[in-house]
Amino acid sequence: MKTLRKHLEKLRAVKRRSYHPLIHKIRKRYKISKKTLLYVKEYGPHTNVPKTIVKECLKILLFASIISSFGGLALEHIKDIFIPIVPLILVLPALNDMIGDYGIIISSRFSTLLHTGKIRGRWYKNNDLKKLFAQIFIISILTAIITSSIALAISHASGFGFNARIAYKIFLISVIDIILLVNILFLVSIFAGLYYYKKNEDPDNFLIPLTTSIADFGNMLILAILVILLF
Amino acid sequence: MEIFDKKFKEIFCSQIVSIVGGLIAGTILAVYTNKLLLIPGMLILLPGFLEMRGNISGSLSARLTSGLFLGVVKPNKTKTKIVKGNILASFLLAIIVSFVLGVIAFSFIFIFFDIFAPKIILISLIAGILSNTIEIPLTLFFTFYLFSKGHDPNNIMGPFVTSTGDITSVVSLLIVMVLI
Repeated sequence: MKTLRKHLEKLRAVKRRSYHPLIHKIRKRYKISKKTLLYVKEYGPHTNVPKTIVKECLKILLFASIISSFGGLALEHIKDIFIPIVPLILVLPALNDMIGDYGIIISSRFSTLLHTGKIRGRWYKNNDLKKLFAQIFIISILTAIITSSIALAISHASGFGFNARIAYKIFLISVIDIILLVNILFLVSIFAGLYYYKKNEDPDNFLIPLTTSIADFGNMLILAILVILLF
Repeated sequence: MEIFDKKFKEIFCSQIVSIVGGLIAGTILAVYTNKLLLIPGMLILLPGFLEMRGNISGSLSARLTSGLFLGVVKPNKTKTKIVKGNILASFLLAIIVSFVLGVIAFSFIFIFFDIFAPKIILISLIAGILSNTIEIPLTLFFTFYLFSKGHDPNNIMGPFVTSTGDITSVVSLLIVMVLI
């Protein structure tokens, strides 16, 4: 017990940024999980907790903000076409949430598949990956249809007059947007995940910010393109 | 290959929660279009502003949940250094990111549309502070509450934070618009 305490104290003194072989050593010897050791290292009694969190999160949050704003710029350009179509305003936050969530699900589950050694050989022949793709693909189409239906119902109830053609276009925009982005997110997660994994880095730390930023920017851009093409 | 398994149901249910929150936010946006969306730069600001709440509160919840599971954070003790540090960091991040989002929106409308509207920076900053004043305590309360009831907050807080975040963000923007 005394040696464990000594090792943990030593770990706390390790520079926050550097990976230390002590983590591996303590983990192996005392069977303490990696997450616990990370917590000891990151948020120990001698750490300035807010400073550590702000330092680690700020860069990626600012990057995500810039990417999202570029997506918003695409919408601002078509403001005059976009704003009069009430169902589109209604679906915008829901679509943004959904696609961001799919980005997180795809990247975290692909990372887990990599970590557990289930991705071997050719990734496109992997059954777990095929199953994940099928699940996300079906759910995304279902949720896009549900979102569009509710948005159209709310628009109708609030007095926005629309015909079958507009309803069809709203469905088409939501479904195409979701299908395109789910495919893009899958490809990005796979190629970036494999790249970081081969470099012996944890794909979890890179894939989620990467896919959510692509989801944000891509959603706004594809939405803007579809609105221009269809309206 | 069984596609419609437990995981399928979990993802589908969480997405339904997300849709509800998103549609409520969308309805508020549609009702107050004149007050919100017609303001120059608002559509540039909005995606990042909506996303910020999920990013900041989502990470806050995930960090606290990890701490709770590891026993570093106690569910009955909220006034500890680590919890206070997390709250302070989330507020600081919210202020910085809101300001930056406002500056980006201001720069974009000035560069691409030749409109000078510095007000958008103030709107973003005040609305960011206001919405996080609601969202951060809400995240904290529900993370501890769910954990104390034997649930894994990781499975529930993601869609919860994005849904409530959308609503608080849009309502805060609206309140700030009325005030300014």
